[in-house]
Amino acid sequence: MHSCDLNVSINKLSKIEGHADLDIEIRDGKVGKVDLRVVENKRFYEQEVKGKPAMAVPQLVSHICGTCSIAHLTACTEAVEKTLGVQISPQTLILRKLTMYSLMIRDHALHLYFFVAPDLFGVDSALDLAESQKELVHDALHIKEAGNNLSTLIAGRSVHAMFEQVGGFAKIPDETKIPAMIEELKSIRAAVIRLCDIFLNCDWVLKRKTNFVAIATKDFSYLEGVIKTSAGEVINEENYWDHLHSVVIPYSQAAAFEFEGKEYMVGALARLNLNKEALHADTKRDLAKHLAVFPSDNIYHNNLAQAIEILHSIDHSIELLSTTKFKKEELAKPARMTGEGVGVIEAPRGTLYYWLGIDEGKVRYANLVIPTAQNLINMRSDVREAVVEICADPSASSGQAAAEQGQKLWEEKIKKEVEKIIRAYDPCMSCASHFLRINWV
Amino acid sequence: MTKKRVGIFSLTCDEGCSIYMIEIFNQKLLPWLTKMEIVHFMSVSDKRDFKDLDIALIEGTVSSERDKREVEEIRRQSKILIAMGNCAMTALPSGQRNNFDAEKKADIQKDVDAYNLLPKCLALKDVVKVDDNIAGCPIDEKKFIEIFEKYL
Ligand code: SF4
Repeated sequence: MHSCDLNVSINKLSKIEGHADLDIEIRDGKVGKVDLRVVENKRFYEQEVKGKPAMAVPQLVSHICGTCSIAHLTACTEAVEKTLGVQISPQTLILRKLTMYSLMIRDHALHLYFFVAPDLFGVDSALDLAESQKELVHDALHIKEAGNNLSTLIAGRSVHAMFEQVGGFAKIPDETKIPAMIEELKSIRAAVIRLCDIFLNCDWVLKRKTNFVAIATKDFSYLEGVIKTSAGEVINEENYWDHLHSVVIPYSQAAAFEFEGKEYMVGALARLNLNKEALHADTKRDLAKHLAVFPSDNIYHNNLAQAIEILHSIDHSIELLSTTKFKKEELAKPARMTGEGVGVIEAPRGTLYYWLGIDEGKVRYANLVIPTAQNLINMRSDVREAVVEICADPSASSGQAAAEQGQKLWEEKIKKEVEKIIRAYDPCMSCASHFLRINWV
Repeated sequence: MTKKRVGIFSLTCDEGCSIYMIEIFNQKLLPWLTKMEIVHFMSVSDKRDFKDLDIALIEGTVSSERDKREVEEIRRQSKILIAMGNCAMTALPSGQRNNFDAEKKADIQKDVDAYNLLPKCLALKDVVKVDDNIAGCPIDEKKFIEIFEKYL
């Protein structure tokens, strides 16, 4: 056991979405302060949306986040629809599922190949793997490209998509392009299974009991269902807020949340732990041994869960594209222009909640609960746990002779481990920095 | 042939342009890697090297003192500086607070003071000389390829 003091500081964590700093204080071999600070400059969406036409607000909030802009667009669209009594058609629901799947494919692939894979192979960047791991890099680019193409076909674009609107889709997919899209999705299945194998065989472990929270959708489509927790609660979407408690983290430009007064985790691991039976039959057939891992308390299994979700997104998309005959439809109209409503979906990083108040077609207030904000407290506890484990490990001890060098190695080891853990959550600091305050108007 | 040193930077924004650029990489990364080395791009690498850049791509608006210092330093270090996307070119949409009415401005003043934000969000060209622009929100794919390849 180390008895010395150490301050570990990481100024701007790399390979995550957005900006965050981390400070860890070790005194006498014991872990003291663990400060994870989101350092995004605010863009003031909570003020921006006030007074704006409700129909335009989903496009507006899609700019909260680049990589998961489709998640914000979809959750806010659902909130406007629930508030104004817009009944969407079965076809719109199918198109929305396909839109979400396209997001999951490219966003999870970005995280796993570009943010996590470098740690697996002991390099700084995925770009360093272009020579040594040719197959892996090709797989990465093909999978992301398929997700990107699916976004373009269904929603217009992968970042700030134009077709998805309140009441429906402005355009239906070009029929002539669907067969090629199905073929492309089929062609990446083998690569995705290789990715699942990599994370099944990965020996990283950090286990800690926590409460997992996710919407349990019947067909694992990320859109509609009741919210379940591993502690056994079942909650209707519109009541989610009643169970949350907002916590202010000092010096951080982000909100954090507790569920029933305790830390919890949302995201792919939570979804797999709570709802794996709902995955597509083809996914279950080809990933039986991967799925046997869940439920799991190992935070690193969030990576495996994401890889599995890519395959499910492909398999269900193939089915939907092959069995749907898309026809032109009018956008569904609102039944009223004033009210309050809630939209909740599963974004790539977890449960995303929008609560809107609308007055005569204009947004009066908006309140959001963002996945990364819900994970912040759990993430901090995991970081602490990992550092405690490293400090308790006698093999990490430096010995007297090379004390100074030992200290450096120790610090490097801590930095590496905590970065790995934070990345396992796939945090998005751009998102987490919004809606820190609650606008009770 | 020596490879071009390329740096990619995010100021205040949603990082949508750089994310979209990574999608453009799906087709273009491997051929471009024969001509360039990415020496700064926090989304994919922990390298913090931004000395002597041949090409700097910057997304986002300049909204804080820290953003401003960063852009000035990047300018000193770069031969070609490209504004990537509408935020970098015009400050919007990420600089939307510039258009707030008096009531909304008063509402955010505390945050502006507490976080050392500039009174107004700026476009890159308001702070430094910009050599080229790629418009769009996010960047237009064809334009990006055309302009980036011009300097590669
Ligand atoms: S221009 Fe649009 S996509 Fe690009 S950084 Fe700004 S908000 Fe994001």
